[in-house]
Amino acid sequence: MPALVAPRQRRGLRLLFQKVAANPRCAREQLTARPPGPVALVATGCGTAIACVCALGLGEIERRLGGVWSVLAVACAALLCAALARALGRLSTVVPSGAGLLAFLSRGLGRRWALLLMLPYVALVLALVAVEARIVGAVSARLLPIPPAVGALAFLVITWAVARSGVRPGLRAQAAATGVLVIGFSLLAVAGVIAAARRPDFIAHLVPAAPAPLALLGGIGQALFLFMGFELVTNQVEIVRAPGAIASALVRSVRLLTVFYVLVALGFSTLAAPQLDVAPGSDGDWLTPQLGLGAAAGSPLGAAAIGILCLLASFTSFNGALLTLSRLVAAFAAQGVLPRRLAHMDARRMVPSHALAALLAAVVALTFLLSTRALIDAVLAGSAAAAGLVWAAAIAVRERAPFAEPGRPRRHRIAALALASLFVVFGLGALAEGLKADHPARVEIAHAH
Amino acid sequence: MNVAGDVDVQHRLGRALAHFLAAYEARPELVAEQRGWSPVIALAASDAAARVVVSLDDGRVARLDGAPAPATLQITGGLDTLCDVLMLKRDPNEPYLFGELLVVGAEADFVRLDYIASRLCPR
Repeated sequence: MPALVAPRQRRGLRLLFQKVAANPRCAREQLTARPPGPVALVATGCGTAIACVCALGLGEIERRLGGVWSVLAVACAALLCAALARALGRLSTVVPSGAGLLAFLSRGLGRRWALLLMLPYVALVLALVAVEARIVGAVSARLLPIPPAVGALAFLVITWAVARSGVRPGLRAQAAATGVLVIGFSLLAVAGVIAAARRPDFIAHLVPAAPAPLALLGGIGQALFLFMGFELVTNQVEIVRAPGAIASALVRSVRLLTVFYVLVALGFSTLAAPQLDVAPGSDGDWLTPQLGLGAAAGSPLGAAAIGILCLLASFTSFNGALLTLSRLVAAFAAQGVLPRRLAHMDARRMVPSHALAALLAAVVALTFLLSTRALIDAVLAGSAAAAGLVWAAAIAVRERAPFAEPGRPRRHRIAALALASLFVVFGLGALAEGLKADHPARVEIAHAH
Repeated sequence: MNVAGDVDVQHRLGRALAHFLAAYEARPELVAEQRGWSPVIALAASDAAARVVVSLDDGRVARLDGAPAPATLQITGGLDTLCDVLMLKRDPNEPYLFGELLVVGAEADFVRLDYIASRLCPR
């Protein structure tokens, strides 16, 4: 799940979960432990990028483009993100701040511009959490005899309660969850492709008619959304103590995400069309295309396992978003930007309890407000556009003081300008496609439930 | 070389730290809340030759400068920013979020330090 500040992973854990903030001695003990290694950092980068809502995004790309065209969109987005990764490595080296993008943009553009650029991003993170909750509701309704709304609400409240208690998922737990999720999905995708290869319509699914140029542009923009969050590995710089390791993890995360998304895109291309589109009475299939992937592999048990993994991925994502956004809310409240009451810090658990409660209320409200597929598509498209804008700014900032090396050739600045423009154009393309009035699937979610 | 200037900035940072610690020790309930917390905190100016170190033992101030253990939490920032924070004129979270204060160490330590500063900071 893309988040403003990545879940602050912990190092040297003996337990999967620990109560860091509640016990000062715990925090002290961590300092003598080894910083996270390269594998843990890559898992962090991929873990923050991959969430259930990404499957929804990939399903949308597949529905709009299909087959190899979806793969092409993912590949184009990956190329842009690879260039972004190199720029972010430099930003993280010069300003090794755990505040990440906000700190980089503030130092390069000034606080006002940084806030203006980051605010839509933050607002959309909250909306994405709400979409994630709806997906959890749909997944839990598949696994348990409960209505989707109850599953969504339970997910939000339980995750909030865990964050409120000061317990945080450890780095190993996050890395293990990410690893199992990536391997599980990849295997299911490959199995799906192998199974579909025997079908007579396999080639037709894999190589559909070429999409319109604008649709392809929007698809690439939407694929940017899939990578949203990988950059937040820069937030680990304080505990890694080596900016070089962060730069390397950024590049490796993009590579791993590319392979993963290409495989899943191919897997999705083998699904029957109704599994990616609205299927009245099918209880929200379009919200959970990843479960269709499990079924396509011919294993209901696999689908159930993927469902459980999805719940875990959603939990760690929302937990991270809550912990970090609450700190941001509390910081702004302390400065009087938001009501001062939200700055209250629980002295025992070291969590901003009022900010956490406000975020829970906001996400619950958004979960019920985002009740149509049109709205959810708009959130996904808006997120791609917001990410494109923030990333374009990061690329531009890399060429400014204090990040640009003295005497840096002018050609780098021109290349950065071109790259930043591409991020903006593709982001706007995603927005235009996502908000298109003649969307083929403008159906109330309620119809699908 | 500007030895006099260096001494001056070092003195300024030291004085600001002393102000912060005096305010902290004047709040016994706040000190009691930090029981079990024993960090070695270093504050270094990025734009001047000034660095101060303080170690806490079980939440109480144990030693100023010359702390034998390496710093477990290193905070770097402009001299004015550091002094403003230590003189309780600014909340540390704000310069941190905007990249003016850089931290090396556990986030939990910084969150706790920020909590202490926010409790001491007059609103």
